[in-house]
Amino acid sequence: MGSFVENPVGKVIVVGGGIGGIQCALDLADTGFYVYLVEKTHTLGGTMARLDKTFPTNDCSTCMFSPKLVQVAGHGNIEILPLTRILELNGGPGRFVAQVEKLPRYINEEKCISCGKCAEKCPKKVPDPFNGELATRKAAFLTFPQAVPLKYALDAENCLYLIKKKCGICKKICPAEAVEFDQKPEIFQIEAGAVIISTGFEPALTAQEGEFGYGRYQNVVTSLQYERMLSATGPYGGHLRRPSDHKVPGKVAWIQCAMSRDPARNRPFCSSVCCMHAAKQAVLTRSHEPETEATIYFLDIRAHGKGFDDYVDRARNQHGVRYRRSMISQVYLNPENDNLIIETFDHHLNRKKEEEYDLVVLSSGFKPSDDFIDLTKQMGLVTNPYGFLTTEFDEPVATSRPGIFVCGGIEAPKDIPETVIQAGAAAAEASILISDARNTEIVAEEVPVEKPIETTPRVGVLVCHCGTNIAGVVDIQEVLDYVKTLPSVVFATDFIFTCATETQQDIIQLIETHRLNRVVVAACSPKTHEPLFRDTLSEAGLNPYLFEMASIRDQCSWVHGNDPEKATQKSKALIRASVGRAIQLEPLYDKSYRIVNEGLVIGGGVAGLTAALTIADQGFRVHLVEKNDHLGGFTRNLKFTLEGHSPARLIRYLIERVSHHPKISVYLKSRLISHNGHLGAFNGTVQKEDGPVDIRYGAVIAATGGRPYEPKAYLYGQDERVLTQVEFSKRLLEDPVWARRLNRVVMVQCVGSREPDFPYCSRVCCSAAVKNSIKLNEMNPNAQVVVLYRDLRTFGFKELYYLKARKKGVLFFRYIPEEKPQVYNDNGKMLVDFTDRSSHQDFRVEPDLVVLSSGIRPDEGAKQIARLLKLPTSDEGFFLEAHVKLRPVEFASPGIFLAGLAHSPRFLEESITMAKSAGQQAMKILCKEEMKTSAAIAEIDTDICTACLVCVRVCPYGAPFINEDGVSQIPPSACMGCGTCASECPAKAIVLKHWTDDQILAKIDALLEPTF
Amino acid sequence: MKISFYPGCSLEGMAKDYFHAIDAVFEAMDIDLVEIEDWSCCGATAAHSLSEAMSVILPARNLAAAEKMGLDIVAPCANCFNRLRYSQQIIKKKVFDIPWQVTGDIQVHDMTRFLAESSMIKLIKERVLKPLNGLKVVCYYGCQMVRPPKITGYTDYENPLTLDRIAAAAGAEVIDWSYKSTCCGASIGIARKEIGESLTMRILQKAQQAGAEAIVVSCPLCQSNLDIIQKDRPDRRTPIFYFAELLRLSFIAHGDPKWFKMHFTDPVPLLKAKGLL
Amino acid sequence: MQNTVSHQKGMAEHEPGKKRKLIGDRGNYFLDRIQGEAGVNISACFQCERCTNACPVSHFMDIKPHQAIRYIQLGWREDLLKSSTIWVCLSCEMCTTYCPNEVDVAETINHLRNMAAHSSITPKEKSLAVFHQTFLEVLRKSGKVNEFRLMNAYYLKPDIFQEKLKNGTLKEELLLGLTLLRKGRLKIFTPRSRAIKDIQKAYHQARGEIG
Repeated sequence: MGSFVENPVGKVIVVGGGIGGIQCALDLADTGFYVYLVEKTHTLGGTMARLDKTFPTNDCSTCMFSPKLVQVAGHGNIEILPLTRILELNGGPGRFVAQVEKLPRYINEEKCISCGKCAEKCPKKVPDPFNGELATRKAAFLTFPQAVPLKYALDAENCLYLIKKKCGICKKICPAEAVEFDQKPEIFQIEAGAVIISTGFEPALTAQEGEFGYGRYQNVVTSLQYERMLSATGPYGGHLRRPSDHKVPGKVAWIQCAMSRDPARNRPFCSSVCCMHAAKQAVLTRSHEPETEATIYFLDIRAHGKGFDDYVDRARNQHGVRYRRSMISQVYLNPENDNLIIETFDHHLNRKKEEEYDLVVLSSGFKPSDDFIDLTKQMGLVTNPYGFLTTEFDEPVATSRPGIFVCGGIEAPKDIPETVIQAGAAAAEASILISDARNTEIVAEEVPVEKPIETTPRVGVLVCHCGTNIAGVVDIQEVLDYVKTLPSVVFATDFIFTCATETQQDIIQLIETHRLNRVVVAACSPKTHEPLFRDTLSEAGLNPYLFEMASIRDQCSWVHGNDPEKATQKSKALIRASVGRAIQLEPLYDKSYRIVNEGLVIGGGVAGLTAALTIADQGFRVHLVEKNDHLGGFTRNLKFTLEGHSPARLIRYLIERVSHHPKISVYLKSRLISHNGHLGAFNGTVQKEDGPVDIRYGAVIAATGGRPYEPKAYLYGQDERVLTQVEFSKRLLEDPVWARRLNRVVMVQCVGSREPDFPYCSRVCCSAAVKNSIKLNEMNPNAQVVVLYRDLRTFGFKELYYLKARKKGVLFFRYIPEEKPQVYNDNGKMLVDFTDRSSHQDFRVEPDLVVLSSGIRPDEGAKQIARLLKLPTSDEGFFLEAHVKLRPVEFASPGIFLAGLAHSPRFLEESITMAKSAGQQAMKILCKEEMKTSAAIAEIDTDICTACLVCVRVCPYGAPFINEDGVSQIPPSACMGCGTCASECPAKAIVLKHWTDDQILAKIDALLEPTF
Repeated sequence: MKISFYPGCSLEGMAKDYFHAIDAVFEAMDIDLVEIEDWSCCGATAAHSLSEAMSVILPARNLAAAEKMGLDIVAPCANCFNRLRYSQQIIKKKVFDIPWQVTGDIQVHDMTRFLAESSMIKLIKERVLKPLNGLKVVCYYGCQMVRPPKITGYTDYENPLTLDRIAAAAGAEVIDWSYKSTCCGASIGIARKEIGESLTMRILQKAQQAGAEAIVVSCPLCQSNLDIIQKDRPDRRTPIFYFAELLRLSFIAHGDPKWFKMHFTDPVPLLKAKGLL
Repeated sequence: MQNTVSHQKGMAEHEPGKKRKLIGDRGNYFLDRIQGEAGVNISACFQCERCTNACPVSHFMDIKPHQAIRYIQLGWREDLLKSSTIWVCLSCEMCTTYCPNEVDVAETINHLRNMAAHSSITPKEKSLAVFHQTFLEVLRKSGKVNEFRLMNAYYLKPDIFQEKLKNGTLKEELLLGLTLLRKGRLKIFTPRSRAIKDIQKAYHQARGEIG
């Protein structure tokens, strides 16, 4: 098999409980491994738990995140170790032994019932670090309402009893007798085959640095503090206020690059995420308080991700966010009103300009936490000079010590999707390493026994506050009082967060106590939370289909936020409708089917090759389909990377391994021409040169790649002295004599990117220009390079190379799209005219060569695959993933995944990471023997079916077919339960189980009843 | 305790009152200030502007003299302090030949930092006979004492605290403000009056906005700039004190109004109103 | 000026008549000279304008601090030495302190001022240049700088006297001088310091350094 070590342990230690660690734990636990999730604080959640909303959808971060938290908390194969740190790590790949220390919580986790009485009565108030110290909490506390584990704790540094043996109230009043002042740190050992580091980052800006008056002026806050200030669970209850006087700030300014891009403070790198979070915060600020002005002071807008430029454009044009390209030196205080003064130089008026702001938000860069430095030393890991666990481009999740992998913000500052992708890749590496031990340590899933239910409907209604998301608008008490009057409702109650892990236990208890046989939850949205509550019903021994949800957040409090009265009335009506339907619900049973344990990878570039190896190295067969007569894809054109690596060597290695891998079948000059079936059991046809081949596969990875854009301007194709960056780097290596003869080279950025018809940024071109400038300079130090750019986007540690290029004398000038550089051929002499925005001057250069940074387009082949597999694409032709934040390598259609340039422009190492991650997601299917189908699917009454083919035509998943008996048949495993066929069937021969006409009519009838 | 003292040219002329106050304060604190024998001008900004070599060589002469005495230097003038420190750094780089024996190894303190050490603050507090209760001041540091941090050693250049600590030790009510180290224009006002005025007026206005009744300084040039500009402006009555003047006042039961006769903006009415004279 | 081109025929459509600056031969000679002599780093600049925003007098400068750095990169020596910038600069060190790329802007501008002082270029801000010169003259004569003698020497410089006379500030300055005298803030006589010989020695030494 693919495993590289003998007798490995089938367990993995994941260090760090943020989104990276959580994703990693899930990606391993779902592929047959036991996971220790080690977290140093009281709770999982990390940085993401502190965010208010996330771009580009402006979805609530907690709402997105809490299902994941619940999933981890309830996963039988994930053991969460909060308050735990690693003291020592011995052993090696396949068998590590970690000495860990668990610090006391002073509240017994087993006994605590999370009633909150300790916190309520605790007399000691302390600044709350979770809320950036802008609010207080008690010394007995819960970090945040969705904490996992949802257990209170005593803060050893502030608890009066723990510091001076006074007080002790919590112990007296705790109904569960859970308070244990005498808890001591516990030291024990855990064993694992692999270790993954995902310890994340924290803001680099501290009050000691004193930059921009942070720590000196009350109304100067960090971006992470501002997230808390916007949050419904934050210090100001989700209302925009400023710290000094709790007034609504009329003007807010963001200062970018605080502790980033600052070699003078030994922080020469870019923190990658700040440009986008500032844009998001500014947009949210404007939607919270439309009268409030939002101004962002920046140097380059680094919107280098999928859809980012579009978001920034909307922030600017639709939301009226002001962007000021000017870096700030100092922030001054107006002592009369605690406002802050920012001074800039106004070029147009030739004078200093003082602007006053009510609040200043510093977009602080990120650093590894201080205690992480001890951990790296302990583990013998090599970090870069800034403490990050940077990796090599061909092994983008491997640390310096074999068997230890890395993901997330500790590798380099990065956003949520990149962290989720990297987490999957780290899980893949661990999974490959110990794949021989798959399923050896896992705890068998307990199948809950369904209890008999009474025939009379007994409906229980649970109304959720969703923090203040719902309760801030809807009158919960009024709703509850009303709900109790509805027919068949035997019980109703409310919860602050019904989705919280702890609440699930309460729900189980309530089902038993009140003999409920129908449950209605009135909360956020079934789209995100229905699966969670169904699992809870199962656990309670109740059939999961006896559940119904009323969406009183999305459809009431959010959309009618300005009319609480009507929102409350609508909530009542929606719950009434749900109760109406709930009465009609019937128990249904899922079926299971065999999985085809083989994968299909479309595309033989770096992403496709890596994805194929990720699966094959875990012992599973892969079909790799490539339309060309060779493997390697676009990377074959790349000569060297910014960091100086050789893509050619990587390609040779990958092709070598794939071609000789016993588990991989390569189909060259081939296309997938048919594709049917469903998750776990697809079948398709590959058109090879010598004829078609039928194949079966359980999962698909679309890695159709990208291609370079061919420029249409700047004399490209008309003058041989105009090249693209790819052509230039190739020529540099092939013809050093030519390179040494060059006197002057002009590079033009954003050719065919960030244009009205292709509005996205191609992400790699700034680095390509920097890379080729440095290369030319090394070959020919006398050649002058002039780079004309719009925003220089060397994000993360690539910024170091931008610095290097500048130090080597490369000249960077900024142009604006309204004044594009002009390239002329003047009687054989090449001329470039441009206007520099920094010196406000017009320039002319006479270069020997013009190099165009032309963007990346999706490969043409993607269109055919999108049609065949029914996959959504963006206007530009890139595939659209299921969820931009948390499901970046999956499609909404189950069993289909994506990687590489087909997703969006990205660097080679990023494509490799993404491919590994996609491979690991596919493994979640392929490593299983069987899979369950939903019972909420279409069923055909064959007596009525006239084989009219309507269902065959309308089904978006191609599930129905006409069988040997001449009637339509829908294989249960193929049906996605969308109901299109049921509503279209002219003979009414199709019933969608769980969504029967009776049930829907009951719901409508109930809805139409008057509220009072 | 003994330390060498580099007064600088201004303390013999424009800032003679500063000199007298320093003398009195150090005497009261039993610190022996040994004036560097036959000291000469540091060259100030002019030497630096016109001859980088002179800007290293001129201070070096004084460094050499102090080294001979085997004593660290304390300098009351911000510009002198800055030039001495700058010279030390360049001497160590050995860019220019220096005509006298000098290593650049002794410590050069600005006087405020020297006095803001916790042991000195303790000593000051012991000497205070009459705390300056109720006197609301802001402390103004100017440029040369704090910037550039690589030369001055002030990492808190935006919010330096040495003067604040000293003034607080003397019992004054010290108000925090943002303009502690903005530029007063230095000597530019002599040649380009309007530039100098725009900078000094701004500082006065910001001090007033912060609620200050007086400004505490340590630099002779800052003092004259902020003081003299108020002469024909009856609306501006913000006395500019050297920190040493305040210390001297607090060390004695009954201060002498004559100490302040060199001021353009007469501090006597304010001090009287506060019961400090 | 050598580095300016006017538009050639057929190419001037978009901005007729506007002078374009030519990025000609590499400015590296000048750049390297400044980086070497002043021991500063110029090329790292990324034009963030922190220096210009921090500068208290950038509005009195014809070439803003961040532009000055760019001009050095391009080798535009003459423009810089002719600028008001180098004389208006207060050496307040704000630019240097806040530069994220450790470009010592103040020291760089100071170095340009030194270069200008040793060149034949007439300083754009004559009164400021003359003030610095006068200061050094007084210093050379007595080893210390007596403010009374400095002011006297400065106002008696023909250019300055003319200027003060013309703009009518002479009387005001004189009155201020009298007040200063009355308040005892000016000392008329200073004993010649024994340092004078040493100072002369220093001058000769320095001249040798400047070459």
